[in-house]
Amino acid sequence: MASTACFMIVSRNDIPIYEAEVGTAPKKEEAAHQHQFILHAALDVVQDLAWTTSAMFLKSIDRFNDLVVSVYVTAGHILLDFLIALHTRLMLLHDSRNDDGIKSFFQEILLNPIYLPGSRVTSSHFDTKIRALARSYRYPCGYAEVYGVFVFWLRPSA
Amino acid sequence: MADPAHFALRKMLLDEITPVVMVLPTPLVEQRCQKNGLSFVQMLTPFCVFNNIDVPVRTASDQPYRLQKFKLRMFYGSDIRQPNIEVTKERLEQVIADAGNKEDSDLYLDPSPIEAMSTSSEPEFVPTWFQYFNKELVRSVSFSDHEAFDHPVACLLVVSSNDEDPINKFVNFFNTNQLPPLLNDGAMDPKIPKYFILVHDNQDGSPKRATKILAEMRNTFGSNDCRLLCINSSQDRLADHEPNPWAPYGSNASPGQHLGCLLNNEDMDELKAFVRDLLSKDIIPNMEQRIRVLNQQVSATRKGFRNQIKNLWWRKGKEDTPEVQSVNMYTFNSIESQIRVLGDYAFMLRDYELALSNYRLLSTDYKLDKAWKRYAGVQEMMGLTYFMLNQSKKDAEYCMENAFSTYLRIGTSGKGNATRCGLWWVEMLKTSGQYKDAAGVYFRISGEEPLHSAVMLEQASYCYLLSKPSMLRKYGFHLILSGDLYKKCDQIKHAIRAYRNALSVFKGTTWSHIHDHVHFQIGKWYAFLGRFDVAMKHMLEILACSHQSKAMQELFMKDFFQILQKTGKTYNISRLQLPIVNISSLSIVSEDHRTYGSPAAVSVKESVWQSLEEDMVPSLSNAKTTWLDLQSKLLPTKLKQSNVCVAGEALKVEISFRNPLQLSIPIYNVTLMCEYSANETLPDANSSSSVIEGDEDGKIATGRVSNSDTSFFTSSEVDITLAGGETTVAQLSVIPRKEGILRVTGVRWKLSDSMVGFYTFDSDFITKRISKQKRKAKQNTNKLDFLVIKSLPRLEGVINNLPSTVYAGNLQPLSLELRNSSEIPVKNLKMKISHPRFLNIGNPEVLDVNFPSCLEKKQPCDKGADFEATKQSETIFRFPKDTIINKETPFFLPLWFRSVTPGNVSLYLTVYYENEDKSTAMRYRTLRTHHILEVLPSLDVSFFISPCSSRLQEYVVRMDVINRTSLRNFKLHQLSSVGNEWQISLIESINHIFPSGNLVPGQALSCFLKLKNVKTTETKTDVWLGDDSSEAVFDTQRAPLVNFHHYERLHQKTSHQENQRTVDFMLISRMEESENVPSDLPTPPQIFSHHACHCSVSTKRPIWWLLDSPQVNHCNFSNSFCETKLKMTIHNSSSFVASVRINTFDAPPGGSPSGNKLGWHDMATLPMDDTSGTSTRKPVSLESVPPFIWSGSSTTRVKLEPNSTAEVSLLVTTFAPGTYDLSNYTLNWSLLDSNDSREKEGVCYGRPFYLTILREE
Repeated sequence: MASTACFMIVSRNDIPIYEAEVGTAPKKEEAAHQHQFILHAALDVVQDLAWTTSAMFLKSIDRFNDLVVSVYVTAGHILLDFLIALHTRLMLLHDSRNDDGIKSFFQEILLNPIYLPGSRVTSSHFDTKIRALARSYRYPCGYAEVYGVFVFWLRPSA
Repeated sequence: MADPAHFALRKMLLDEITPVVMVLPTPLVEQRCQKNGLSFVQMLTPFCVFNNIDVPVRTASDQPYRLQKFKLRMFYGSDIRQPNIEVTKERLEQVIADAGNKEDSDLYLDPSPIEAMSTSSEPEFVPTWFQYFNKELVRSVSFSDHEAFDHPVACLLVVSSNDEDPINKFVNFFNTNQLPPLLNDGAMDPKIPKYFILVHDNQDGSPKRATKILAEMRNTFGSNDCRLLCINSSQDRLADHEPNPWAPYGSNASPGQHLGCLLNNEDMDELKAFVRDLLSKDIIPNMEQRIRVLNQQVSATRKGFRNQIKNLWWRKGKEDTPEVQSVNMYTFNSIESQIRVLGDYAFMLRDYELALSNYRLLSTDYKLDKAWKRYAGVQEMMGLTYFMLNQSKKDAEYCMENAFSTYLRIGTSGKGNATRCGLWWVEMLKTSGQYKDAAGVYFRISGEEPLHSAVMLEQASYCYLLSKPSMLRKYGFHLILSGDLYKKCDQIKHAIRAYRNALSVFKGTTWSHIHDHVHFQIGKWYAFLGRFDVAMKHMLEILACSHQSKAMQELFMKDFFQILQKTGKTYNISRLQLPIVNISSLSIVSEDHRTYGSPAAVSVKESVWQSLEEDMVPSLSNAKTTWLDLQSKLLPTKLKQSNVCVAGEALKVEISFRNPLQLSIPIYNVTLMCEYSANETLPDANSSSSVIEGDEDGKIATGRVSNSDTSFFTSSEVDITLAGGETTVAQLSVIPRKEGILRVTGVRWKLSDSMVGFYTFDSDFITKRISKQKRKAKQNTNKLDFLVIKSLPRLEGVINNLPSTVYAGNLQPLSLELRNSSEIPVKNLKMKISHPRFLNIGNPEVLDVNFPSCLEKKQPCDKGADFEATKQSETIFRFPKDTIINKETPFFLPLWFRSVTPGNVSLYLTVYYENEDKSTAMRYRTLRTHHILEVLPSLDVSFFISPCSSRLQEYVVRMDVINRTSLRNFKLHQLSSVGNEWQISLIESINHIFPSGNLVPGQALSCFLKLKNVKTTETKTDVWLGDDSSEAVFDTQRAPLVNFHHYERLHQKTSHQENQRTVDFMLISRMEESENVPSDLPTPPQIFSHHACHCSVSTKRPIWWLLDSPQVNHCNFSNSFCETKLKMTIHNSSSFVASVRINTFDAPPGGSPSGNKLGWHDMATLPMDDTSGTSTRKPVSLESVPPFIWSGSSTTRVKLEPNSTAEVSLLVTTFAPGTYDLSNYTLNWSLLDSNDSREKEGVCYGRPFYLTILREE
């Protein structure tokens, strides 16, 4: 079954620093800008929620038609060690089918020191890892090694 | 109750949910009214709104209150029906289209900044037609059978006084089928109060007939319900109304007509009074009455515990047969309909408590009945009632949501109602400031109908904007969604408006796909509307779309060029993104006194040239110090401080362009932009003579640069095609024509005929090639400014026939060609070559050398002259004094080229020259040329020299030659020893050891030669190695071979070889012509020379000795032993006095002295042996050799003068015939007075010398 998913990392000044279409659905030309529009608009909701919640993982905060936006907001002081700057937002646009494992997907990415502050992430290695992770979170548990860090995850049971 | 008009929704509800009056006029009435340009209803409409009517009302529970503001809605009977869907749709489309056209004017202005929008409290920027559109939408679902507030509360039957038999007309109204379907199918109570109106047109005459008819009517229908209405009292069509009360309503009137022109003030007062009376005396009391009646009925049947139970039970029973639920299930006399009427009447009379209680009652009933549409309708009313009561906001919203979703659930029939309900809900949310929720509701209203959705989404976007804090991104996103839908419905103007507003959010965004999409769509739509100029502005934004897929890039480009073509204008865009100019790659080469022969020469470091030219050019510092010097006067300070270029000579600029796209794009007419000013001072940016600088928006006129200034300078133009993702370096040049100041301002290119991009250079970013001294002096001057000085002669030089790839050792004659394109001749030429090993200057007087025969030995040979000449010009070659190069007469200088070592070689050559014209600022110039060669390995030649053991002062030379090429054959020609000191000869005929004469690739050859030191003048120094002895031998003592050999000697020289005796060899060979080369053009023979210099002939020890005796001695052994005399000749070749001690060992024979030693022994003695000695010291087996003894003294000491020879006699005694190896002796030598400790003393071991003793018979 084809799924749609678009993963982006957005820096604190709303500049996208990494972007990947990780779904299995065949690519459509208009999808690229549509996904950007949806994720961009969802930033408003993230901003809104940031005042009211201290949670970092914001599941399904916004939706457009059957596409759902989940966001992981980093808090600077915790993740500084991982070189992800304050209030960087990892956004995933996905269809509602694959609700599970999204959080672990985020966490796996977060555990990887990837970010060169202020710049776009251009590492092809990171790219392949993200795509591999996106494929793998369908499984209930597993592990992956990214940048020398072994990451284990367990999918929360439904 | 709060002021109801305060909120928009209240006002809307008070306008919309008001009693309806049905009007049934005769055609004659309409005709009379049309005289005023109005229909009958339109005529009455302005008077149906009451702001201060002050009617006393009592609630059902006898609570008195007064109505102040009220409104009636009047409709023709034919209009009281559900509006036709198609008609409604068309009307709504018309509304939108009208609105779009109205906004035409400001569509092309820049969107106002978003900050200004969000701060203004009330939405003045929200298009006003939204209200109108929403109202139309709401009205599209009026007169539904499931709600009662649209049901007429009264009926006006209108007959004209001119009608024939008016009484009958009145009666006929109710008999005909003119009545609305609501009344006919039983959804509405047909027994509504009727009022009989007689309309009299005063233009038709006096109202006498009218009064008569009225009296008749009163008799027939009762006096209370009959009225007379006189209109058109104004005779002269001049009744003027200011403000005209009909203006907002008279829609179908022709524009020129004056509305209500026949109605004078009395008429108006009459109309006003008529409606007022109708309302206050009849309609409201009737409604009040009705409420009371209905309330009693409802109370009787439904209120109270017993009724509740009964009702529940009864409805439960009905549940079994839900199919019965037909249209007529709730007729007007069913209790449900009556409750609804009661509720709606109460709502209209603003008795909201009563309305609410009835709606509540009804809602449960409908829910139980699963009559969803009615249920939703009641829920909707409940929500509104809550709102009007200003009570529980939560309940109100809950009811609205419930109603909305219920309407949606029932499918298409509920869609319109859902929209209306949603709109009311939205207003409700807006009232309480919940804009975000309101936007969500708008989003939900937008359904399948794209046009309505577009409007709803746009309204949603404004809600996001108005919410606190404003959600700009959502605003933008919804505008985009709305714009897309507008486009779908061909409402381009609306689409553009939506996108343009969105642009204020997305301007300068780094979300690349968003940015591209917005600009591309707007651009396309503007182009569709024919506004190509505005379209271009947006299309330009998407040019650098490197992140897009190839297909998208193609699409973008296609549309871009299409629009550009249609624009018909020429664009000059600063910093056009296609292609991208890599400013850091900019390099400008100007030639002042330094000129360059090739681009390769430009890239060479200045320091290389400076070191090369050091001795040749007049020193700059010297010129400054001597104030009398002419040059210092002629070189003004400005010349030193700014970049100089010469008129007529090209200023070369290199800059790279990068294509960000995956497509290949051609760019045309890439050229430099320059400014020229004739005066000494640089032009200011704002002075009129200078060319305009590019402004920020990027549209400038640069026409002057290319057109009018051609007399001052000429710029080259190149066309480039950039493949996808490629970076290409463009080589541009500008040639100044006149003296003055030239400034390079930028680069310009054409993307197409009408799209010109340019890039203005900012001098801060430019790293330019300037010499070190100059850089210090001109910190503050512009690097892009060039002082153009008067035209100067400029030499151009080229080395003819210089090969790019050559085999090592190849010797070729070349010529340097120097041309002077200017009228002024140049003189006093000097030249310097960086690698004289490679290039040698031939005799300037002999131009046409016959190669290779010129190398051959001639008799008599005049040596020395050439050699001397070269030796002097070792550093700088001065051209003959009278050398003057004029225009059109190129000067040729013969050169000899010899490739030396394999590898890549850079040859630098610089020519110094002075011009005859003394008035110019520059006296001298230099021409710098740079050549890069690749030298391939050819032959490896090595020599081993060992002293001949059988002759003194003679050597055996082993020559090893290996062909290192992969393809070519070599033919050896000759081997020569350079100089006349050494005579060489072959030990064996070359034909024996090397019969083929061809050295094929990879083949190695060793041959042995004899070398003899002689001091005569006629020495045979050459050995012919070729197979054909008829060819002439080359003269190694003549130029150029001797010159090259000279540099080889210099190069191969090492310090500690100086005081040793050495020999130099030169191997001359010839390369076989390869078969691949077409043979028809005669190629000169490929001559190779390989030099081996400083081959040392001296061995480590200065002592030579030779053991000499007859090899075979016959002896009769009469004395039982045989004595053999030996003579040892010892030669001291050193320059010191040597003392030599000869030790002989008797036993064991053959054992070397070192072999006797056991345990630790001195290792240092071993290296003293030479190679020839090692083989001899192998232990000879004891069995094979019979013993012999040295007789005489076992130690002999001799003293040798420098370079002298001594003879020592030795005696050997043998006891049996046999062959004896007489090698068991040593020579211990020491040099007296020698300072070199290493060569002070040493031991030489005996060489094998075989003596055969035969028994004499």
